[in-house]
Amino acid sequence: MFGLNKIIPIDSDYKFLNYRKNFYIISIIAISLSLLLLLFKGLNLGIDFKGGTLIEVTTKNTNIGELRNLLSPNFNELSLQEFGDENTIIIRLQNENNQKSIETVNKVKKIISENVSEFRRSEFVGPTVSSELLWKGFQAVSFALLAILIYIWLRFEWQFGFGAVVALSHDVLLTLGVLSILNIEFSLSTIAAILTIAGYSINDTVVIFDRVRENLRKYKKLELLDLFNMSINNTLSRTIMTSITTLLALFSLYIFGGEVIKPFAFTMIIGVLVGTYSSIYIAVPTLLVFKFRPQDED
Amino acid sequence: MKNYPLWKIIIVILLVSAGVIFAIPSILYTEDSGNWYLDKRLNLGLDLQGGSYLLLEVQTDVLISEEFENFSDTIRIISRENRIKINNIEQKDNELKIRFDTSENLNEIRNSFLQNYRSVKFNINNKVAFISIDELYKKSIQDSAIKQSLEIVRKRIDESGTKEPLIQRSGKNRILLQLPGVKNPERIKDLLGKTAKLNFHMVDDEDSKSLSLNLAPFGKMIVTDINSEETKYLLEKKSRVGGENLIDAFASFDPTEGHAVSFRFDTTGAQKFGKATSENIGKRFAVVLDGVVITAPVINSAITGGSGIITGNFTSQEATDLAVLLRAGALPAPLEIVEERSVGPGLGADSIAAGKAASIIGMILVCVFMVLIYGSFGFIANISLIANLFIILSLLGAIGATLTLPGIAGIVLTIGIAVDANVLIFERIKEENVKNKKIFESIKKGFDRALSTILDANITTLIASLLLFVFGSGPIKGFSITLSLGVITSMFTALMLTNLLIYFYISFTSKKEINL
Repeated sequence: MFGLNKIIPIDSDYKFLNYRKNFYIISIIAISLSLLLLLFKGLNLGIDFKGGTLIEVTTKNTNIGELRNLLSPNFNELSLQEFGDENTIIIRLQNENNQKSIETVNKVKKIISENVSEFRRSEFVGPTVSSELLWKGFQAVSFALLAILIYIWLRFEWQFGFGAVVALSHDVLLTLGVLSILNIEFSLSTIAAILTIAGYSINDTVVIFDRVRENLRKYKKLELLDLFNMSINNTLSRTIMTSITTLLALFSLYIFGGEVIKPFAFTMIIGVLVGTYSSIYIAVPTLLVFKFRPQDED
Repeated sequence: MKNYPLWKIIIVILLVSAGVIFAIPSILYTEDSGNWYLDKRLNLGLDLQGGSYLLLEVQTDVLISEEFENFSDTIRIISRENRIKINNIEQKDNELKIRFDTSENLNEIRNSFLQNYRSVKFNINNKVAFISIDELYKKSIQDSAIKQSLEIVRKRIDESGTKEPLIQRSGKNRILLQLPGVKNPERIKDLLGKTAKLNFHMVDDEDSKSLSLNLAPFGKMIVTDINSEETKYLLEKKSRVGGENLIDAFASFDPTEGHAVSFRFDTTGAQKFGKATSENIGKRFAVVLDGVVITAPVINSAITGGSGIITGNFTSQEATDLAVLLRAGALPAPLEIVEERSVGPGLGADSIAAGKAASIIGMILVCVFMVLIYGSFGFIANISLIANLFIILSLLGAIGATLTLPGIAGIVLTIGIAVDANVLIFERIKEENVKNKKIFESIKKGFDRALSTILDANITTLIASLLLFVFGSGPIKGFSITLSLGVITSMFTALMLTNLLIYFYISFTSKKEINL
């Protein structure tokens, strides 16, 4: 109807994998940087995992500096941050030797009640709960990865499972690296985002692998490298289309979905971009390591 | 179209119309109406409608140490009766270690002790006795404490006027509270933060030496005043009557002392109170609440009617709250708030508005893009997408799921991912169409070939999403529910609805070739 579907030709023949070594280098550098960041800078753990108190307020005739001056004499570990606009401010407090939440929140409310028109939310996570949440999040991610690996292994040959997991770990590590470098808060919803990225990344990889498997049966004589290139090209327009529609939805969520959901949407956007890249440049070339046919052995 | 199986058409039409019909209440109505159909709508989570989520931990450790305290009191009494001197008593973990002056006659002490406490271990090693309790004993103490706490928390919340609270046990020693629409969580936390153990003790005003040394003799204890830490009282350790004998308490007003709480004892309580007051005219008794003295008036005459009044510089709110606490009864052990998430109604409303905006705009963007790329086929995919959203909403309403902010994120994400199955099918049809020119054959092959890919791709997403449900907590569960439902319904709409619509479209326009 509009003819835009011809943007990606059906018989595209890009030699993606011929440049794979360049992309290996890029990915290895990116992953090493991510690992270094995670080791030395770490993640900006939110109160879900670190414990503490968080209060969101709408101020009246008071800016963030004045609010800080009011609060800082009373609390040791205090941080204030504008949240979306300059009238909405988030106050974060660390747990001080088992001080009860009720006392902390009440104290804050008392001090700034004159300057605030609305207390929008308050959250408190005690030290035992935060470590439990961290452990549960870790379990969720590990079990999900394991379950996905087992599924791929059952549905494909184990070599594919290996390739998928390499790509998956690549995506999760890079996304964590980006979160670390941009100092984005790591919360429960980040765990949800990471797992969804895992699902998306595998989804994307599986579609290409499906085609690789089909082509392996169909073209028995074709060189593996050409066969892989062909498979990527076969599925290229789908890969691009799905990335774009997902990104459209995510951008809409990022821009219009409100401040609370922003870090989640951002993490997902990074994940989708990285996941699309890795399906083509990491997952498929990993299969080259394995000899799929007897004639490939020399 | 002639060969299209009728049963498939019927199933698709039935499911899609059911989806639309049962999504309408969730889209249009937000209030309960009492109508069974209109009430089959989505519940909004606390983060969207505003309210408080509280996780309370019952401090059962306190009970265990109280139990050991009882042990050592009993031991002291028994050894006094048997004229055996105790050098010292220390408690370590689950064990009480008692050093006696002698190793003789300790067996008698053991026998009398075990008459009071049965399922306790009592070992003697020369001059030292060890009293320990096993895990089972400990667990039974904890279990009954949590059951009791649940009961009392429920009473207190009901008294506070909160509507539709959810109160349930969570894990070994926690209580989970969901209080929708609570505007002032601080008051609720205040109500829950007090154990509200009320006891009446006699004051010993004669022994001023012990008080000045701050050292209570056996059978006595030193308790501070609620208003000043400096003021201390020497009280009898054993209480004459306690809050468990109260049958009613209400806020009242005393002309000379201001806001007060009036109370009434049951028959046993009235008898005990009457006896204590008639025997001790001219002396003082202290009202002790949670380990501090609220008031310590002089007994002017015997109080035999079983009712009384507590004064103590209360504000009107404090008097009301104390009455609530006394009516609900004392908690067996203190509660500690270990997690709290309260959202005000303003933020909730903002989140709903933002979620709606993000869904609608995301939807429009995806729809426009699909039509731009796939033309009429894109239009068909959009119909499937919209049907898919209706079905998700109606399923969420039907299973009584709760929509949270992350849940909305899941829906928006589903909009993006749901077209994937359509895209996979269209791309396959496109390929088949190049190879063979028979239009219906290309469509059929396109769907067949795409099927296994669609299944593989979606099952992996489903695995990740279901594990999120199992291990996730609170709002994350909401995300995984909408995402899982979205994955399942999008497979259905793509494989069944899109399929049907394409056959319809091709048959009715009598197209000879596919413009994909």
